[in-house]
Amino acid sequence: MNTAATQTLAPMPASAPARGKRRDDPKLELWIAWWVTIAFYNIFTIAFFILSRTQPPPKAWWHLPRIVQWFDDNHFGILFGFAMMFLIVGFSIAANALIAQSMRRMSVSPMFAYSYLIIYSLAGVPGMLLTCIALTVGAMRPDRDPKLLSLLYDMGFLSFSGTMGIFLIGSLVWGIAIVLDNNRVLPKWFGYMNLSNALTEVVVAPCVIFKAGPLAWDGSIAYYINMVIFGIYTGAFIMLLRNMIMREDFGSGVLPVLEKPPRR
Amino acid sequence: MKSVNGELLVFWSLPVVGLIWVLAFLTFPGFVHPMSPTMTAEQVAAFYRDPGNLPRIRGSMIVFNWFGVALIPFLVLIVMQIRRMAHRTPVLAFCFLGCVAGGPTLFCMADLFWLIAAFRPERAPELIQLFNDLAWVTFTGQVGFLVAQSVFLALAIYLDRQPRPVFRPWVAHFNLAIAAALAPAAFVALALDGPFAWNGLLSFWVKNTAIAVWIVVMAVVLGQAIYRQRRENGVPA
Repeated sequence: MNTAATQTLAPMPASAPARGKRRDDPKLELWIAWWVTIAFYNIFTIAFFILSRTQPPPKAWWHLPRIVQWFDDNHFGILFGFAMMFLIVGFSIAANALIAQSMRRMSVSPMFAYSYLIIYSLAGVPGMLLTCIALTVGAMRPDRDPKLLSLLYDMGFLSFSGTMGIFLIGSLVWGIAIVLDNNRVLPKWFGYMNLSNALTEVVVAPCVIFKAGPLAWDGSIAYYINMVIFGIYTGAFIMLLRNMIMREDFGSGVLPVLEKPPRR
Repeated sequence: MKSVNGELLVFWSLPVVGLIWVLAFLTFPGFVHPMSPTMTAEQVAAFYRDPGNLPRIRGSMIVFNWFGVALIPFLVLIVMQIRRMAHRTPVLAFCFLGCVAGGPTLFCMADLFWLIAAFRPERAPELIQLFNDLAWVTFTGQVGFLVAQSVFLALAIYLDRQPRPVFRPWVAHFNLAIAAALAPAAFVALALDGPFAWNGLLSFWVKNTAIAVWIVVMAVVLGQAIYRQRRENGVPA
């Protein structure tokens, strides 16, 4: 017997021990996943934009002395910022789990939720950790041969921008699920917005070829336009998931709309 | 019923796999007296060129490459128990499931970096040192998925609101303690000596001991949970 399937939505026992109201809130597990998502993106921003200065990225066309100087200038920020990412990378899964849960609430096949969870859960390894590992190894020995530092620099930024298919296919999976869904879990416009996020991964592809100009990894197209779209997309889904949790009724039909203004 | 018998097969393979892990760990000459990050490139190259070391490096890393992934079925057994908890949604099981492949995948990357460093020991010492650094930073610093899965498991246990929870609350506290013990290793690259260095007290001994203790303790409580589940389903244990 498949206990997993039958107990997914098992009703809460009426005699659940009352240890305070918060713990008994049936939506607590969803709110935890949502708040972990918020915390993760905030620390991600601090580590990449403020500490390591890897976002916005330094130039793809820099020559060896400038690259060595960049590692020197950002020595502690890279090591400390990316140590934080090493520590918290697993918490990025909370967003994937919550998004997978949004698809389980939809009228579509569970296949969408599982595909998305698998695709995005390993996204962090090539798309972020490889960057952090390469640049950390570069920063930890400033006296390393500049040619090797340059290799690590390229490895870092190309694996960050060049991990494309995960986000391309992952966004399409979520977008298609939203468009097909009859339970109105997420608005249709956001389903189509997933297409714009997928397209950023198409536009970024030339970064593996161009060393300067708008298509290089630091360029106006490959970086700045994409980052704006990604920022809007991320902000939108964080608010929409919050809205989804507030509307959650633990049923299986159409997700009700909010009747009164949110209290939270 | 048959599905649970399959679970027991995976569960009882763990002592064998665990023994293989311990033997591979003791075989790798870089672990018994952990290599120091302060070694020069020439010293690192000499480590790989030593005819006494080379077969042990390759042998241990081949065995780790084969069996490191065996952790995943064990972790998925834990997912099956999370699905039995009295949660309203599968979101916490998804959180744990999403972490499951991360640790073994990153360990496999470190394993490959060691094997690449050992592949042509006659290569320039700086290049061997580069891959040795990549291996040690990846092996030591990549605790993030293990930390997160322990925390997600602890949260799942705390929210298992039923009179007879799948795991007792102390298992949740224990997982938080393990997460705290693993955390310092993330800061491995900040120091080439002292407790945070990759051969140091926190980054090597505490972290690796915590992983071993976690596997042993979770195996015991998991086994209890699986056998209790069988009794409740009316299967003779």
